[in-house]
Amino acid sequence: MHRTRTLRAVPLLLAFALLVAACGGGRSDDNADSKDNGSKTSDSTDSSGGSGVDTSDCPDNDTAGIDGDTITLASSFPQSGLTSAFAQISKGYKAYFAKLNQAGGVEVDGKKYKIEVVDKDDEYNASKTVQNINEEVGTDGDKAFAVFNVVGTANNVAIRESLDESCVPNLFAATGSPAWGNPDFPWLVGSTLAPYTLEAVAYANYLKDEQPDAKVAMLVQDDDFGKAYEEGFKDAIKGTKITVTKVATYPTGSNEVASQVTSLAATGADAFFDGATLLACPNALEEATSSNWERTSTFVSGTCISKTLMGLAGQNADGVLATTNIKDPLNPAFKDDAAMKEYRATLAEFGDDKVDPDNGIVAYGYTQAALLQYVLEQSPKLTRSSVLDTLRTIDTKGLGLLIDGVDAKMSADDPYLAENLQLIQYDAGNKYFTNVGDVIDFEGKTADLTPKDLIDS
Amino acid sequence: MMIFAATSGAQLFFDQVMNGVGTGVIYASVALSLVLIYRTTGLLNFAQGELALFSTFITYWFAHEQGLPIVAALLASVAVSFVGGALIERVLIRPVEGASSPLNVVIVTLGLFLAVNALASLIFIKPGQEALQMPRIFPTGDLALGIRTSTVGFAAVLVIECLLLYLLLQKTKLGLALRAVASNPESAKLVGINTGTMLMVGWALAAPIGAVAGSLAATRQSGFDASLMQQVLVYAFAAAALGGFDSPLGAVVGGLIVGIADSLTIQYVDALDGIELVVPFVLILVVLLVRPNGLFGRTIVERV
Repeated sequence: MHRTRTLRAVPLLLAFALLVAACGGGRSDDNADSKDNGSKTSDSTDSSGGSGVDTSDCPDNDTAGIDGDTITLASSFPQSGLTSAFAQISKGYKAYFAKLNQAGGVEVDGKKYKIEVVDKDDEYNASKTVQNINEEVGTDGDKAFAVFNVVGTANNVAIRESLDESCVPNLFAATGSPAWGNPDFPWLVGSTLAPYTLEAVAYANYLKDEQPDAKVAMLVQDDDFGKAYEEGFKDAIKGTKITVTKVATYPTGSNEVASQVTSLAATGADAFFDGATLLACPNALEEATSSNWERTSTFVSGTCISKTLMGLAGQNADGVLATTNIKDPLNPAFKDDAAMKEYRATLAEFGDDKVDPDNGIVAYGYTQAALLQYVLEQSPKLTRSSVLDTLRTIDTKGLGLLIDGVDAKMSADDPYLAENLQLIQYDAGNKYFTNVGDVIDFEGKTADLTPKDLIDS
Repeated sequence: MMIFAATSGAQLFFDQVMNGVGTGVIYASVALSLVLIYRTTGLLNFAQGELALFSTFITYWFAHEQGLPIVAALLASVAVSFVGGALIERVLIRPVEGASSPLNVVIVTLGLFLAVNALASLIFIKPGQEALQMPRIFPTGDLALGIRTSTVGFAAVLVIECLLLYLLLQKTKLGLALRAVASNPESAKLVGINTGTMLMVGWALAAPIGAVAGSLAATRQSGFDASLMQQVLVYAFAAAALGGFDSPLGAVVGGLIVGIADSLTIQYVDALDGIELVVPFVLILVVLLVRPNGLFGRTIVERV
């Protein structure tokens, strides 16, 4: 018998490679891959409020999750593992709710309620999110009033169908997927993170003014998140002299982008769209510097503007552009801003000891809490359908740390919450972003600026 | 005309090959540690990458928390890894090694894969911290001809590692004993070699090589987190399979081939965008069809 140990090892090896690939997939920022067919589309003839959401098929549990004077919200987000940095979001809203509860709570329809958030760790794994939300909300949807601020596109996609069927609001899904405008799932509403396609359009508009002949090289993740940037940008430059020299993709969850950046730099592009997320984003900037890539402007993903990632990029990120709609706590221009002062005071008194108020995603979480309070207070009744209806017809600005001039606005025709963006530029010496120009008004335009297949995904 | 500023074709090809060498050297180092353990124990150590990750965090700890210069920190981490590798063999692997099926040890290494990763995150990454930054060992920038100083430095480190291993295995008594255990454990036992000790030495030697590979991999990136070695390990396995699991030279050549194939695929084969990983695996399949023991592996004939 002639047999070798090497040959025996091969099947094991392949199995292992599959395992790693499978684990890696779960870490992606955005991986909306399932296509579901929800049944409850908008229909103005049914029992709906101003938002056009049809509630005629809903079970009779419109006030579930309210116990005496407590409203229970359910959430799920990574609290361990590689993506646990996202847990900082919850520290922002928990501090806000703690302060609100101490002052008596939120007043709805003449009565004050305290807000309690029940959450579990899902390690960014969509199947765990499903398990967590099933447990917290209950299979009949009786245990929690609403789902709040679940992190991740794939994670929200995984829970949207069952929540839609049991008519449990899934409020402020915490990613910028354009799919949150899918009319098949009216019970899911995205957060103030602007749809990714708008970031691409904002950069295209900037180039039209500043580099009308720009040759742009793009780096994007190999999934729907990357597609939103690529298709959104290509759509936005139609009819201009701006060209795309090359789009390089990298595997979801990978940090290694050196060869991709080398190939982009070699095209002679004078503008770099760095659509990478997590560590791939600063790595790409470092590689661009090492490749001596001479370019006039660089744009980075809104998922890359955290204090940590920009800090890692250091000088390589000096002058890069990005967009946001939340005030950067590190920008001294907001030092005397009333909302920023209140934010810092709230975090100092009610934040837990591990929270870093300078971190932009804490400010983001805080802002979602302020929005929820506003929606509850505006809601005529404390029922799920009434709260959803109120949110879907919201029209306000200046809540939480939203940049002045950014609307929180939705309507029956406009399923996106926050669409106005501020172009910002990184100052590596001072380690904060400064505003460039005025707020760009995309209010109500996301659907027109986004390829339809991305919305319907 | 539009590409007047673009890099010439030949220069681009060269740049991508150098990119491949840069990553290939890392794959080769990890493959080398896989081969070392395989040669002494006949085992595939699935935890090798994560052990290297742990060592990388130790390097970071020495450099960042203890304020050691990066080279001293790396050497300290190599020493700790040497002891740690031996300890892991003694405490975790030894008890299941005698068991009826070699699968038991494989399962322990799979368990280690998960446990070490979680433990490293728990110990070294503070809440809210997304990633750590490893101080640079080699200066950034080009040495000459557009070749990065770091790529040359990495290659030099790999050459030094190979030389030391060669001297150890071929020129010392310990090396002779290690090779004896690898080639025939039964006979080695009969001539009085303590096979248990040799297995421990195998693990102890593999860990520092992983420490160097992980630490170098970390310096290639603007920041690293606990996912640093996961993809590297897959490529390293590919490299070892390509070169032959029992050949250190094969590991090095395999690592370079995999690294270069990967970067050339990214540059020239748009159809495989995002799934470049299939290239090393196709290479492996082809090589194993032609040479079942890898490019440099020996054929083992068992008499029945």
